[in-house]
Order: sequence, then C-alpha cells, then structure tokens
Amino acid sequence: MDSRRHLSRRDLLKTSAMLGAGSALSGLLPAFAAQAQDKTLDMWWWGEQELPGLQKFVDSSIAGYKEATVKPMLQDTAVVISQFQTAAAAGKAPDIQYLWNGVYHMESVWLGYLKGLKGLVSDDVLTASNPTALSRFGGDIYRVGWYPLPMFWCYNKTLFEKAGLDPEAPPATWDALLAACEKLKTAGIEPLGGGIQDGYWSEWYITHSLPQNLDTLGEAVELFIGEKDFRDPKYHEHWTKLAELKTRGYLNKDMSSLELYPGIDLVAAGKLAIGQSIGTRLPADSKATGGKIGYMTMPVFGKGKLAGVPVVDVQGLGISTNAEDPKTAAAFLEYLHSPERLKAFWDATGWIPSNKNFDTSVIADASVRGLWENWGLKPNISNVTNLVPGQFYERAAIPTGQQIVQGSMTGEQAGELASNTAKEWREFNPDMVENYRKWALDLSAPL
Amino acid sequence: MTALQSQKLKPYLYVLPLILLLAFVFGYPLLRIFEFSFKLVRGIDGPWIGLRNYELILGQSLFWESVLHNIQLLLAIPAMVVISLLISILLYERITGWKLYRIIVFVPFVLAIPIIAVVMKRMFQFSGPVNEVLRWLSLDFLALDWIGSSDVALWTVMILIVWRESALGIILFLARLLSLDESMLEAARLEGANWWQRVWHIILPQMRGVIEFYVVVSVITILAAVFSYVYVVGGGRGGPGTATMVIEFYIFNALIRTSLPGIAAAASVLLFLVSVLLIFPMFRARRRVREEEA
Repeated sequence: MDSRRHLSRRDLLKTSAMLGAGSALSGLLPAFAAQAQDKTLDMWWWGEQELPGLQKFVDSSIAGYKEATVKPMLQDTAVVISQFQTAAAAGKAPDIQYLWNGVYHMESVWLGYLKGLKGLVSDDVLTASNPTALSRFGGDIYRVGWYPLPMFWCYNKTLFEKAGLDPEAPPATWDALLAACEKLKTAGIEPLGGGIQDGYWSEWYITHSLPQNLDTLGEAVELFIGEKDFRDPKYHEHWTKLAELKTRGYLNKDMSSLELYPGIDLVAAGKLAIGQSIGTRLPADSKATGGKIGYMTMPVFGKGKLAGVPVVDVQGLGISTNAEDPKTAAAFLEYLHSPERLKAFWDATGWIPSNKNFDTSVIADASVRGLWENWGLKPNISNVTNLVPGQFYERAAIPTGQQIVQGSMTGEQAGELASNTAKEWREFNPDMVENYRKWALDLSAPL
Repeated sequence: MTALQSQKLKPYLYVLPLILLLAFVFGYPLLRIFEFSFKLVRGIDGPWIGLRNYELILGQSLFWESVLHNIQLLLAIPAMVVISLLISILLYERITGWKLYRIIVFVPFVLAIPIIAVVMKRMFQFSGPVNEVLRWLSLDFLALDWIGSSDVALWTVMILIVWRESALGIILFLARLLSLDESMLEAARLEGANWWQRVWHIILPQMRGVIEFYVVVSVITILAAVFSYVYVVGGGRGGPGTATMVIEFYIFNALIRTSLPGIAAAASVLLFLVSVLLIFPMFRARRRVREEEA
C-alpha cells in the first residue's frame, strides 16, 4: 500500500486555514512589539567634527532607545543653521535639532522655528544640563545642554619652571601676567599667543577679555543695539591690552600665519608658554605632556563683575516647532541625560556630558577632573561671543584681533571699527534690533 | 499652417525641451535671486524693501574693499599671459625634456584648487619652507609674513592664481601654436630672423585671438571664480582682517555667516551683471580664434 497520504480538499483547506492563521498571528506579534517603534523622530545633529566619538554615542543611544525610532543625520558644519532654517520655513524641520549657543539658535527662536522647553522637558534635566543663560528668551528656555566646552587659558608648566615661575600659581592679574611674560621672554621662551590666521583666536580672546568690564552678559548686547558704545575706553580696553602684549613683544612671531589648533599645539609641544584652549583638548594635551598643561582664567585687568569668572560654553539640542510629537522628542532628550547614557557618553567620547549629576569619579586625569569641578560645577559664564551678531563677528570681532596682532591697529581703532560695525549691523538688520533689546533683558536678569 | 511654416518651426520644437530645462535649472533661480535682492529675507522669504539692499551694499566700505581687491587681482592677468606665452613657446620649440616639462606645467591645472592652496599655505607660513629657504640664502628681508600680513596676503593669493591659472594659458597657447603654419617660421629662420623677431613678428600676431580669449576668460575667473583661493589662503575669512576679501566671499559671508540672503542676492545680481557684460567680448574673442584657425 502506498504510504503516502493524499491530501483531500478538506485537508488542504484546513492546512491553508492553519497556515493563514499562523501567518496572521506571526504578523500580529511583531506589530504588537513594534507599537512603540511607530513613533519616529528625525534628529539632525553636529559635533563629531569637534568631539570624535559622538557618532558612536548617538548610534548606541538610538539603538538602545525603545520608545521611538530615531533617524539621525550628521550635518555639515557650513549648513547647520541654514539647513535647519530652510527646512523649518518649509515646515519640514527635524523633530530634534543640534543647536550652537546664543545667537546661533536664538535667531531660529525669533523666527518661530524652535519650541520653548519649559514644561516640555523636565525641569531637573533642563537645569542639570546647563543650557546657559544664552538659551533664555522671553522667560522660556530653548535648548537642553548636551556637552560642555570649558574655555580657559592654558600654559606649559615645564616652560614656567624653566623661566623660574611657579607652575602651580599662574598669573592672576594683568601686572602679574606682564611680569611672567617678561621672565619667559628673558629665558628665551616665546611667552604668549597661538595662531590667529583663521580668526578663532581673536574670538576666544574676546570670550575671555570683553566680560572683564561687564556686569552682565546683557551689557554686551547693549553694545550692539547702540545703548552702549565700543568707543568708550571701558569697552575696548581688552583690545588695548592685546595691543600692549604685541608692543612688548610677548606674542609669538608666527602667530599671524598659524591657525588656532596648530597654535595650541605649540603650547603642548613646549614651544610657547601661554595660550588659549578648550576643554575637549585637555585630555589629549595633558596625556601628551605627562600632566604638564595647566589652566587658568584670563588674568584680570577689568573692573566688571564678570572679570575672572570661568567661561563654559555648552552645545545643545532643541525641539523644532515642526515636531509632530514634541513630547516624544522631549522624552528622547531626557533619555540622553539618564545616568546610563551619561556614562555611555563618557565611554564613547572620553569627554564630559553637560550634566551636573554626571559621576566625575570615572575621570582618571586629575587635570580634566579639576577643570570640570572648577569650571563646570562652580559659578561660570557663557561665551560672550555667542551674543555677537554674525555681521559683527565677521567684520569686527575677527579682523580687530588679527590686525592688532600684526601691529596694524590700536585698541582705540579697534573700538572705532567695532562701534561703526555695530551701527552698520543695526542698519542692515532693523528687524533684529528689537529682538536683541528683549534678549538683553533676559541676559541681565538673575538666573 | 503651411508646410513651409511647419518646416521653420521644426528646429525650435526640437530644442524646446532643452530650453525649458535650462529655463528651469538656471532661469528660475536667477529670477528668485533678482526677487530676493529687493527683499529683507529671513529664512526663505521676507518683506519687499525696494532698493534698500543695493543702497546698503553700495554704501558699505567692505563691499568697495572687496571690489578693489578683485580689481587688484586683475593685475595677475598680464603676468599670466606673459608666463603662459613664454612657456608655451619654449615647449613648442621642443627644448630638451619638453615632454616632461609639459606634464609638470599642466599638473597645477589638474589638481583641485583647495589642494594646491592648502599646500601653498603651508609653504608660505612665516616659519614655513619658503621663508626658511630665503633665510638660508641670507635673504631675510624677503622672508615676509606671506599669509599673516594684511599688506602681503593679497599678493600671495595672486602668486597662487598666476601659478595655477597660467597652466590653462599654456594649454590654450600651445594648442594654437601647434596649428600654426611652420613654413613661415622656417622661412623667417632662413632669412636670419632671431628668436625674438620670430616671436614678435610671426607668432604673436597669429595668436592675437587666443590671447584675447584667454584674457577675457581670466578676467571672468578673477571676478567670479577665485573663492577657493581666498577661502584657503585667507583662513576661511578673507583675512587677515579683510585683506583678501573679494566679492564672491562677500556674498558667501552675507548668505551663510551673517544670515542676510537679501544682501547676498543683491551683491550676486551686481556680480552677475558685470559678468554678463564680459561675456560679449569673450564670444567675440572666440569667433576671432575660430577665424584665425580657419
């Protein structure tokens, strides 16, 4: 007898029905599982360029997030702002957008492209992430801090020792700085500087020096809207001081032809005693020099309340007004600040996330830990150059420093150029002046 | 419609799709740029403000400084013409090793401008190889701050432009030389004409058209296509200070860095109109080249 069983029509139907039911069930189960994944967030971000490892952190965060599917896009440096603004104007902005500090995102706030985060993101996360005063407008906050950029003056301790200076007591006042520079110069060491060819040294110099004669950051905004004037000696004293360093021969000779980072390299390489640097560089520089890179605030010459206060800039993330589900976007931002993600951030980047609750015990390098404790966790101010309108930045903030360093401009002339440029900015941007005026109120208010 | 009329229309119908495509790709953006130049643009649109953008630009010292720098860079053209002529004639006369030289002089034109500019920037740093060699030769007074000094930086850009753009001149001139009637040169040689006389009386008159063409192309290049040189050598800012700022960079800054698309559009319109004026002599020069070759 034939052992093979012939399928009757009934059997065929039964089998088909069972297969159909199985298929349907197997289709349903993932559907249930993926219900949370139905929520989709677009996230446009930047930062791998300045903090290698961030891509790894973003990828792992997205992979581990179960509440929504996040689609990331790493942006090119040149289009971070314009790409977002163009998309927002067309109603197609991502849910989450990377935001530089100050005017670099405030303009989008004024155009109505960003959502206020108060009441959307938890207060705990907002406060701990330190979005800085520069993210406040009209009583709301528009960014969650992501990672901090402490800004400081760095110095080479070995060169200090060679010149007979105390490497653990860097100069704190302007006179002490001049005396230290003189000693370094006498010892045959180029005392101070870096590279200004690409202009960023000029910007950083303003970051440290302009606040020295300010009582609030709002006062800086008043300089642009015409309520204060750069021609007032108080507001261009910082440029006069830079000219003094030039006149005394304390700046490195190749400063005008070097770019920012090769200039900082000179300090780490023991060819320049004092420079300007940023926190993200410190771990590598400290390691390369066996802990011989010191940090300090810019020696004080000014009489403003902000003189000598450490500077911490913070990069951040915001939520666009195009976001269909802002709460889901906010939840993802909160997730990035969970203790597990803060630790993952450190592991991926070797740098500190912007969160005051971050467990600093994981930081092995004493210099890096000290910097975070003294800059990040103590009273600090944000980067004043983030208040500078783009037109002023390009026309005055950068060129003044470059021209003073090459000896073709005095501090007074720099003040004159800055004043004229601020006036020019008001003429070119009449619609922005009122926004700046309102912003000055937020920036002058106590935190 | 008569058969004759439809015959006349036929060619236009053939090119119509391409014309429509070109109108969409080039015409529409051009119209938008003209429109933006009359608006205070924020984001992707803004209110109509008439001629205010033009008024602001023409009253701004930075704009005129940029124009002046473009004009100064035009000084590179005579140098480019002379160098290109000299080298192409030497190559034409097949001096020893001419094949190798031909490759060497063409290389700069093959390489992308940013690559060349980055390398040259390193060479011209204050403590870079150029100054090191000059110091070694006891020519310290020539060891300038080539890219860091406002007095010198534009000249450094010019050196770079001359070096690279001359390669195009050499290619064009050599091509023209190779199509010359050699019997005239041979006859002149037999008559006892020296090298200079042959160049001046025989070669140059026949190359007038191609030289004109090269000059016009170079003028357009210097007015509207030196962005990459300036971007790299000028530290990405047209610096030091504003020493290497040119109109293209002015437009870039207005659009990307200072969020003023209306101003960028108005400056683009001005640059466009100047370029259009220069296109006519270029076409005339091209016609002359063709006639000479024929």
